[in-house]
Amino acid sequence: MIVGDLKPLAEIISAIEEYKQILVLGCGSCVTICLSGGEKEAEKLSRELSQIRHYGGPPPKFEVGSILRQCEEDLVLEYQTIPAGTDAILSLACGAGVQTLADAHDPLPVIPALNTTFLGASAKAGNWAEMCRGCGDCVLTFTGGICPVARCAKSLFNGPCGGSQNGSCEVGLDTPCAWAMIFYRLKRQNKLHLLEEIRALKDWRPGGAAGPRKRVRVGLGEGPN
Amino acid sequence: MSYFRVNEKCNGCLSCVENCPASALSYTDLDDRRTLRHNMTQCARCGQCWRVCPQEAIEFQHLLVGLWDDVLTLDMVRCRVCGEPLYSTLYQQKMVSEVNTISEPLCPRHRQRQAASKWPLSRPGKTSSKLGDK
Repeated sequence: MIVGDLKPLAEIISAIEEYKQILVLGCGSCVTICLSGGEKEAEKLSRELSQIRHYGGPPPKFEVGSILRQCEEDLVLEYQTIPAGTDAILSLACGAGVQTLADAHDPLPVIPALNTTFLGASAKAGNWAEMCRGCGDCVLTFTGGICPVARCAKSLFNGPCGGSQNGSCEVGLDTPCAWAMIFYRLKRQNKLHLLEEIRALKDWRPGGAAGPRKRVRVGLGEGPN
Repeated sequence: MSYFRVNEKCNGCLSCVENCPASALSYTDLDDRRTLRHNMTQCARCGQCWRVCPQEAIEFQHLLVGLWDDVLTLDMVRCRVCGEPLYSTLYQQKMVSEVNTISEPLCPRHRQRQAASKWPLSRPGKTSSKLGDK
């Protein structure tokens, strides 16, 4: 899922203090599950931002809403009502949701309340870890299901660097060395030969190096736009 | 009660069934009757059905803001003084079995008052009932 973190309160306040009536809008998908941008968090943030002590003058008025996904323009246009008089939206969605809202309601300013941090997974309650960088050319088949792009601090492709120590990464002892994990998992799978095979250089164009990526599912909707 | 609802414009064309990526829509044709079926546990609420429906028959709002389902109803234990609901009788039984003692059913406020009433300074006969007085 997409993981996000609430921006520092001071940054949010400096971004919204020029507005008078703000819709604080949660998103009901990824950021709800990672407890940073759902309806509950939108209510909580609205309560905090309503405190007069944060402002030199009167605070803006806040209304709170939430929609299942902010990242689908037709859905937000059809089902998310913007209260009359709203002069800005404070979105608790990921960057995709913020931009979709901004496109849908152009020229209404849409301000992000979250920093979109990574594509991750949760192995235990309250913990999320980066797992994928959306590189567009997945190598997990050859790396024991452990991604060297996302989980090696240097995104190395040919084994660990000299900073790998007893299974830990040199950036911190609590960060496991992805290549140590890859080696030992492939060993458990009796597939260490995968590391000896010569592979073509990674093509980074599907990873965004060739510009913003698009996906068109043929047969659904009206085709490319 | 189904969260997937269609209006009177639905003509049973099955576009929604064909295009549901989560296999949450199905249908049965039985005795000259077609029945559209929906499985909420499989539904990803992705909205593809709503997008592809040529009849604009799908009322997707019911999948966005649904009603609450009653899951279970249990007997409650209330504060013996003010009647504030505290916990279920089953929870009380679990507590009793865990700690092997029966706790008097009191809300936090009356539990505090009961504890304060046992404080030596507040007992009758003392000159002061104010905490902290010397």
